[in-house]
Amino acid sequence: MKKKKLDLLPYALISPLIIFIICLALTPAVYTTIAAFFKVQPLNPPTRFSGLDNFRDIIHNSAVISSLGNTFLYILIGVTLSTVLGIYIAVVMQRSFKGRSILIAILILPWALPGVVEGILWTGIWDANTGVLNSVLKSLHLITHYQVFLGQNRLLTILAIEIVQVWQITPLSAILILAVLQNIPDDLYEAATIDGSNARKSFRHITLPLIRPGIAIAVVQAIIATLNVFDQPYILNGAASTANSLAMETYAVSFQNLNFGQGYALSLLITIFTLLISVVVAKFIYKKVEY
Amino acid sequence: MLNAKQVSKSTKSVAIVIAVASALGFSSLAAPAKAASPVTISVVLAAPPLPAQMLAEFTKATGITVKWTQLDWDSLQTKIAAAATANTFFADATDVDWSRVGQLGKLNWFLPMEKYVDTKALSADMPQLGSFTKNGHVVGIPYDASFMVTTVNKTLFAKAGIKKMPTTIAEYTADLNTVKTKKVVQYPLNIPFAAAEGLSTYWYETTGAFGGHILDATGKPLFTSPTSAGYKAAAWMVNAVKTGLVPPGNINVADSQGQQTLMAKGKSASTFSDYSGNVGSLYDVPASSSVVHQVQYLATPGVAGPASNLGNPDGIGIPAKAKNPAAAAKFISWFTDGKNMADFAGANGTARTWVGYFFPSRLSGIAILNKKGSIIGGDVLAGMLKTSAAVFPEGAPAWYPEFSSAVYTNLHAAAAGTMTVDAAIKAMAGTATKLSSGK
Repeated sequence: MKKKKLDLLPYALISPLIIFIICLALTPAVYTTIAAFFKVQPLNPPTRFSGLDNFRDIIHNSAVISSLGNTFLYILIGVTLSTVLGIYIAVVMQRSFKGRSILIAILILPWALPGVVEGILWTGIWDANTGVLNSVLKSLHLITHYQVFLGQNRLLTILAIEIVQVWQITPLSAILILAVLQNIPDDLYEAATIDGSNARKSFRHITLPLIRPGIAIAVVQAIIATLNVFDQPYILNGAASTANSLAMETYAVSFQNLNFGQGYALSLLITIFTLLISVVVAKFIYKKVEY
Repeated sequence: MLNAKQVSKSTKSVAIVIAVASALGFSSLAAPAKAASPVTISVVLAAPPLPAQMLAEFTKATGITVKWTQLDWDSLQTKIAAAATANTFFADATDVDWSRVGQLGKLNWFLPMEKYVDTKALSADMPQLGSFTKNGHVVGIPYDASFMVTTVNKTLFAKAGIKKMPTTIAEYTADLNTVKTKKVVQYPLNIPFAAAEGLSTYWYETTGAFGGHILDATGKPLFTSPTSAGYKAAAWMVNAVKTGLVPPGNINVADSQGQQTLMAKGKSASTFSDYSGNVGSLYDVPASSSVVHQVQYLATPGVAGPASNLGNPDGIGIPAKAKNPAAAAKFISWFTDGKNMADFAGANGTARTWVGYFFPSRLSGIAILNKKGSIIGGDVLAGMLKTSAAVFPEGAPAWYPEFSSAVYTNLHAAAAGTMTVDAAIKAMAGTATKLSSGK
């Protein structure tokens, strides 16, 4: 029997990616997992094994618990809004019309902007002393005095901040859903129309079930983004407890308090949390479709 | 001509070369070998580059080329901490903030400057050098004598009929109320209540004005009693929001934002804790201000007369992992030279002026500026610099960043109305007590 010659080309082609993943994803992940069980405090050396102490301290840290609640609200508001808007935009963009490509390019702009820039831009809108929104509402005689949108009421603050993030992440959701949407054969809609289906029924019984793979990916990316929200609350609301997120708390614990062990533990919990939610979403929303 | 097999073989070869090149790093293959070059040092600060003309003069005189990188302050602190923790090179010279001196001194993340510069000789000409000294080691050299000052819009005060400027807190508060009741402006006082470092600084300055300190020599809080200066300062600040002296929207306004959008636009009549140099670099600049020549410095009103000003200087030091510490030290010596600092502040024309630079950290630099008459309010500022005091006379504790975070988050919450002043003070004091006990 002729011995099959080992073809190195495929391995050579994927090797940069493998090296990249090992160096920049796997190694830090393994390091973080191990270090989460150590006391790593440059101000209180030496580094030593501490078992579950870091996790115990985190659970008893009121700032972490508060940020966990805030992050849950960010996820709830952000994922819901970005998915609903993403579906709406994708459906609108499904049919070709004049200027569609330009509109898609404009829509994607917020996604391309850094979160810090968006935070600064929206400061000009939400600002209670000089903000555009207050100015518009006052000129329309809807308010008599400038209103404070950020910092006083927790839910309002988180909603205002999350709107900024939704503005950023919705374009990607829309594009992901649109990509799946465009694979749906027109025959299905034509057949449904012949059978007496109207637009609403076609959307409910054809579009929605068939774009589930796209929705699942959009939801997972929205969960990852909202779970790691940092720039927008940091710029718009500072480090105030009314809106600080888990990612902000991780930053504070690690780089402000220089308690890297707890920072690693918190990062590990966020990663596990992200994986769990993503698996649940994939299980319940994702469905393989065949046309 | 190549046949299919040859193409396949050559493709494989190219792919393997690319893979190996990726692993090794493209730069080493792409970049030609360089000839030995003069020393280049990396300087990273939260400030724009120095005037090109002056940097060129430095290079010509020393053979040292400066590669300047500007980062925002918060990112810079994170990068310094991350690089030092990872034991890697970050810069040859970088920011040493007064508030981080305790932490940096304990961690030995920076080289002791007394090894490279005659710091003893410097101290007489540099009043704020003490703020950069920890355990007998100078962690950084102040290059900008920023300190907190009170600024007043004299035109708005005059409109309210105030002819004599206040010298005490009581007079100052009464004057602000007069400005408000006479409807000169709706909200006469600017306090940045955003949960950020600027709020902590404002409280320290106000505490000093009320005649007290924040922590004792062991780091225990001195502000728990309602009769203490720190408690009174917090109550005065929060009360200013509740009584309408401060705009309600200021709960999310950071220090520089308030200076730019309220004071510089004539929407506020005074900032109790402002940055030295703001009159010349912000309020008197027509492009950024609508109150040109209206704002003046005021000796900080205290309990029974002018109080001392809180030092808030910027410093520069050499990280322990610097590649060229000797060259960095040469740069720092040149950078903090009195004559050069006077040039940065505008003593010798715009080509030598450093954008955003406030005030020389050396008295000799200020003397040059005053002699040339090129600094607005120079006499007043020079007097204030002489009496400016460190926030923590014993040096900032190593755990300062965590304490400051407790200060600004709780004062913010008190101003936002989600907790009382008393609860905020208790939370701040609790943090200081816990941290100073080493828990």
